[in-house]
Amino acid sequence: MTDVVGRIEFAIRRRPIFAAALLLLPVLAMLAIFFAAPLAQLFDLSLLSQQPSVANPRPPHSLDNYLKIFSDPFYLQITANSLLIGFSTTIATLAISYPVAYYITKISGWERTLISVACLLPIFVNVIVSILGWYILLLPYGVIQQILYSLGLVTGSLQLLRTMPALVAVLTYEHIPFAVLILVSSLQAIPQDKINAARLLGAGVPRIVFTMILPLTMPGLVASAILVFALSASSYLTPVLIGAQRIKVLPLQIFSYGTELLNWPLAAALAFAMLILVVAITYGFASVMNRVSRRGQWEMV
Amino acid sequence: MVGLRIFVYIVVALMLLPVLITFPVALTSIARISFPPIGLSGRWFLAIFSDDVLLASILRSFWLAVAAAIVAVIVALPCAFVIQRGKFRGRAFLETLITGPRMIPQIVFALALLAYFETIGLAETFVGLVIAHLVITIPFAFRTLLVSVATMDKRLESSSDVLGATPVQTFLFVMVPQLKTGLIAAFIFTFILSFNNVTLALFLSGFGQRTLPVEMFQRMNVGGMTPVIPAISFVLALVGVVLFIVLDRTVGVYRFLAGRD
Repeated sequence: MTDVVGRIEFAIRRRPIFAAALLLLPVLAMLAIFFAAPLAQLFDLSLLSQQPSVANPRPPHSLDNYLKIFSDPFYLQITANSLLIGFSTTIATLAISYPVAYYITKISGWERTLISVACLLPIFVNVIVSILGWYILLLPYGVIQQILYSLGLVTGSLQLLRTMPALVAVLTYEHIPFAVLILVSSLQAIPQDKINAARLLGAGVPRIVFTMILPLTMPGLVASAILVFALSASSYLTPVLIGAQRIKVLPLQIFSYGTELLNWPLAAALAFAMLILVVAITYGFASVMNRVSRRGQWEMV
Repeated sequence: MVGLRIFVYIVVALMLLPVLITFPVALTSIARISFPPIGLSGRWFLAIFSDDVLLASILRSFWLAVAAAIVAVIVALPCAFVIQRGKFRGRAFLETLITGPRMIPQIVFALALLAYFETIGLAETFVGLVIAHLVITIPFAFRTLLVSVATMDKRLESSSDVLGATPVQTFLFVMVPQLKTGLIAAFIFTFILSFNNVTLALFLSGFGQRTLPVEMFQRMNVGGMTPVIPAISFVLALVGVVLFIVLDRTVGVYRFLAGRD
């Protein structure tokens, strides 16, 4: 027994790559079987011209589903909705998260814990709970409407649920934690002595913010923009519960074809269309921003 | 700075408001959602304990999250060691590969697993659900542990080795104590992610086998929800906040959640 262990140890010492492979094996095998394989099968499904059935277990492959998605105005409208929601949510989330993240880096102790708890709450509390809270706030004659009435800002009935602004607001709420997390670590990495030097040399706050802090945290901003866009454009729950199916987005159609109408090929094609679109936009954005921010750093030196 | 402070506290209030509002709404004595609450009673908090369907879904979610978190931490730890300590080409690629499932929208992955599980016979099973949760939580466990492995003192292992400890002894008595907070953080974090997941469970949990979030979702979506849902929501929010504060005060939330970007 000890001989076997000794031999394995010897092998590992001589060829560390052997040990590495052994240690990585469970996760890599799992990813291959339960991540790569299902996605490959889904891609295959997306190319089938109709749902496999007992009578027709192997329908022929074609690009029909994709052609349908990219030519039908119905799907183009849904895609436009998804992208619009993704963009609006990203802009709103960053605009709110950046100042908050900056403030968090300047404080400590219980104030920091309080603000962190509040801003990271949606990660720790179930998304259904926060959607329910917003649902109660936005209900007809709910809290927000009562406040607006008592302030005399609105008269008559007001539709808040099932509107685009409400949907974007709730999505922004859900994604603030992700942006705050990235931005806090990015802002913390700014060397404080450089800021002090700039201040000593007479730079005002706006100048420090726009020529130093913003360019230095550009990678963090880009990373959080990408994450928030990818998550919000593909979000399913909030459009169902807050948009109440009134605002059609891609994930709603994917769910509906996948589980209710049982048209897997079309659902799969929609899923891949969404995936490709999101990847293309985030990748394009990242490479453009990379070039721009590098120029920014050049100016700073 | 004063303006910034006011802005931040308005944001804080808005972040807390939707979660806190569930409490007064749950205190109502009538059977529908209203604000301000009509009447005052704790009956909907007690109703949680007499709602068998809800209780069963809570237990199911709990065991699912425990199983996913334990396995995720156990398999992610060796990966974190290899990626952090290893010196071979393709390390960055492997890291991207392991964290890959984070990049895929959950609805796409859920649909893929739905079709796949149908083919291999795992559809609507608890095991299938655990596997699905593992795939999406391992990246987070891995990144959390990566941070923790990076902060370990390698000299302690060498000393232990030189002093004649076996590799197993070194691992148990020198490395695990150093990794303790990281392991706890990774466990709590994956537990929360798994417990709170809705999208995967919505596609994959079988009929009558709903997890808690799916049960809540269905009651909200179908309509006719009673204030028992705000009541359980408030309880969940409290648990979430407590876990958060424990995590932040022991290991620091930013260090572990943000990883090493």
